[in-house]
Amino acid sequence: MSNSKRMLIFELIRGAAAIGVAMLVALIFIFICSDEPMEALRYMLVAPLFTNGSFSLNSLYIMLANSTPIIFTGLAVCVMFSANQFNLAGEGAVMLGGFVAALTGIYFSTGTYADVFIAVFVGSAVCAVLMIIPALIKVKLNASEMVSSLMINYIIMYVVLHYLNNVFADGSKGSVMTFPFAATARVPALVAGSSKLTWGFVVALICTVIIAFFMYRTRWGYSIRMIGINQNFAKYSGMKVASVIVLSQIIGGFLSGMAGAVEVLGRYDTFLWRDLPGFGWTGVTVAILAKNNPIFIPIAAFFISYLQRGFTLMATYCDVPSEMVDIIQAVIFLFFAAEKFLSGYRQKLVVAAAKEELAQKAAQTATEGGNK
Amino acid sequence: MSNNEYVVQMKGIEKVYSNGVAANQGVDFFVKRGEIHALMGENGAGKSTLMKMLFGMEQPTSGEIIVNGEKVTLTSPTVAISKGIGMVHQHFMLVPSLTVAENMVLGMEPKKGMFIDYKKAVEITEEYAKRFNLHVDANAKVIDIPVGMKQKVEILKALVRGAKILILDEPTAVLTTQETTELFKELIHLKEQGFTIIFISHKLKEIKQITDRLTIMRNGKSMGVYETKDISEQEISRLMVGRDVILTVEKEKAEPSDVVLKVRDLEYTDSWNRKMLDKMSFSVRKGEILGVAGVEGNGQRELVDMLFNLNVPDAGTITVNGQNVIGTPQRKIREMGVSLIPEDRMTYGIASSGSIEENVISDRFDKKKFNKGPLFDMNAIHAESEQLIADYKVLCKNYKQQVGMLSGGNIQKVVVAREFSCNPKLIIADQPTRGIDVGATEFIRKKLVELSREGVAVLLVSADLNEVMELSDSLVVFYNGKIAAYFEDTSVLNDEMMGEYMLGLKKQSDEEIRRVCHE
Repeated sequence: MSNSKRMLIFELIRGAAAIGVAMLVALIFIFICSDEPMEALRYMLVAPLFTNGSFSLNSLYIMLANSTPIIFTGLAVCVMFSANQFNLAGEGAVMLGGFVAALTGIYFSTGTYADVFIAVFVGSAVCAVLMIIPALIKVKLNASEMVSSLMINYIIMYVVLHYLNNVFADGSKGSVMTFPFAATARVPALVAGSSKLTWGFVVALICTVIIAFFMYRTRWGYSIRMIGINQNFAKYSGMKVASVIVLSQIIGGFLSGMAGAVEVLGRYDTFLWRDLPGFGWTGVTVAILAKNNPIFIPIAAFFISYLQRGFTLMATYCDVPSEMVDIIQAVIFLFFAAEKFLSGYRQKLVVAAAKEELAQKAAQTATEGGNK
Repeated sequence: MSNNEYVVQMKGIEKVYSNGVAANQGVDFFVKRGEIHALMGENGAGKSTLMKMLFGMEQPTSGEIIVNGEKVTLTSPTVAISKGIGMVHQHFMLVPSLTVAENMVLGMEPKKGMFIDYKKAVEITEEYAKRFNLHVDANAKVIDIPVGMKQKVEILKALVRGAKILILDEPTAVLTTQETTELFKELIHLKEQGFTIIFISHKLKEIKQITDRLTIMRNGKSMGVYETKDISEQEISRLMVGRDVILTVEKEKAEPSDVVLKVRDLEYTDSWNRKMLDKMSFSVRKGEILGVAGVEGNGQRELVDMLFNLNVPDAGTITVNGQNVIGTPQRKIREMGVSLIPEDRMTYGIASSGSIEENVISDRFDKKKFNKGPLFDMNAIHAESEQLIADYKVLCKNYKQQVGMLSGGNIQKVVVAREFSCNPKLIIADQPTRGIDVGATEFIRKKLVELSREGVAVLLVSADLNEVMELSDSLVVFYNGKIAAYFEDTSVLNDEMMGEYMLGLKKQSDEEIRRVCHE
């Protein structure tokens, strides 16, 4: 068996084991805090797809709709983490992207269907520009992008809230929200009904393909990955390390902004977020689940949506709190991020491979000696 | 019991690192009580790995360790220390801002109420210093004391913690001659008091001078254990290096022409205020291999870093075919036709979790040839990788294989394939064959000669005397950041002559040295 195959199998086993352990933890909690654990379990695992024993298409649509923003943020994190840049400002970028897109849809409407494209683009582009800040601070001053980006989230949140409360609020409404944006700025629904599944989902899938090509089939994606693996090597090879690091974060910002824009313009008709929406954080989980491979991002995002929906249903119909999903996410996160998890098993594989190679080499020198 | 004779027994030790490197392959290592035992071998022979396992820093994949007749599992240095094992690392593990006494008691501070009893710490330090004849200044801050004293502090630190077995990892590498002599006196004093000392080194003279027995390692295996007095330096060298037949490379006489690399008055003082390069000037011409010989740490690394703008000199100029190198981005330097085989291939040479393909195209991936519009032309890239793998005989399954999983020799072939195939005008080869197998070594050397005869200028930096004398057309010896000698014709040289210049016993006149500038 080849090394790469061994490692792939190992990663699959490791992923499954991490999810398994997380589920087990969930189970323990459910049994602790529920009087009807079997019923709760049924809601958690089965109910997202089957209501009253029959397959529910609408429920599937809801989960796809819910996975849309986290596909975008997952891709964003995936690009930035691949360059070894732990930029977490995606969270703030989602909020800002949604806010800017909504404002564009309200105040700069052309009355044509170009509105939605313009609004989404402007929302995303503003966030792309925003991400230059932590990237430049990193490249020029060598300050950790993790810290600066984390702080930037709160700056963004309070700036957005300030303008929402004091400048753009619709005074006639009971709670704080903007005026409704033009109907032409809405992301159109993909299916009729209450699922909120919009064309945004299709765009997310298209973005997945584009990012996958970008990362594995273009010189920029290649540079990003090489810098992520070994920055010294990239520098010595003559790559433009600083520019590529900035580029990776611009792309990350653009995708995060798009998550917010598509979500706001697809789900609502006005901007009403009063807090960071959380899609940026979930994007980190998604990217880690997908091992930073863009192709796996939609699958990981769907998995998270499925979990979230299961827990929501369980919380609605049973006596288990919905915060459970955060616990599960945290546990999965922990085991995926834990390099040492199952490392003993990995070591065994490595030893086997090394021995095989030594034996092979010995055999080869023997035959070479015979031939020459 | 005869076993009692041995204080340390390591049996059948195997160690495979998580990157797949089999650093130790069934090593036996036995140390007698109260002896100074040398552990010898080239870089990468596995001696550091073996010692890290004895000190609990790494765990063996298989095999057993017996200390004082008791089978032990050393899961951490703390456990090793509790078994009476102490280690003095090559790079000191001291807190520079604290005093010697504070360092001495770090983690086991004597207390007076809630506070550290500093007076007691000084007392302890002075008591041990006196008892073991290792004189240190207890109240001085570590940052202010010389290297030799830092080493004594390290040794004392191990002794204070109750070490009976001391592992010294290349202790003389950082010391001056006088400091070395002093250290040896102290070590013999320790031995007389019943301590066991394991001495890692590859300096033959020192080993002959101070050790009782020696174990030689090569390529992760033990080449046997010998009484020091019974084995000649030549024999040790043969066992260590394993070149019964010195690899000779056929080469025609060089016909050097124009100067390609021109280095003038290069000066560099490092962050420890050591003058690493002192008015260094030389030239490398088209079609010749200029060798740089010298004991490591005499400015070679600093020079190479500067030639590729990985570091910036304090003063001086570097030009390649008239174009300035200092401060120039690596991309531009490569465009000038400069190639570098870096000394530390894992840090600079490769992206170890990337594929072979990703590693061989790292300097040319943005060339027109490999791109179709915004996308890579994967066919062209695959073809290039396959060609290079074939040309440079990289032993692998295919271009998708992860580079980090290859053997050292094959990793180096990947680096060489990239650096030699980009139509270089100047190749800087820094320790190009260090730690790799004989087959790969021979292949790389032949290629290097071949390219130089085709008109490439080559600067070969190597600590392997054999290599640098065999391959170079002409040769400079570095000593203390300066060129100590220049030999236009390497065929007249012998080891003894080289040794005298390398160790600073002799130095050519400035006029003789200036000839290397070819002006």
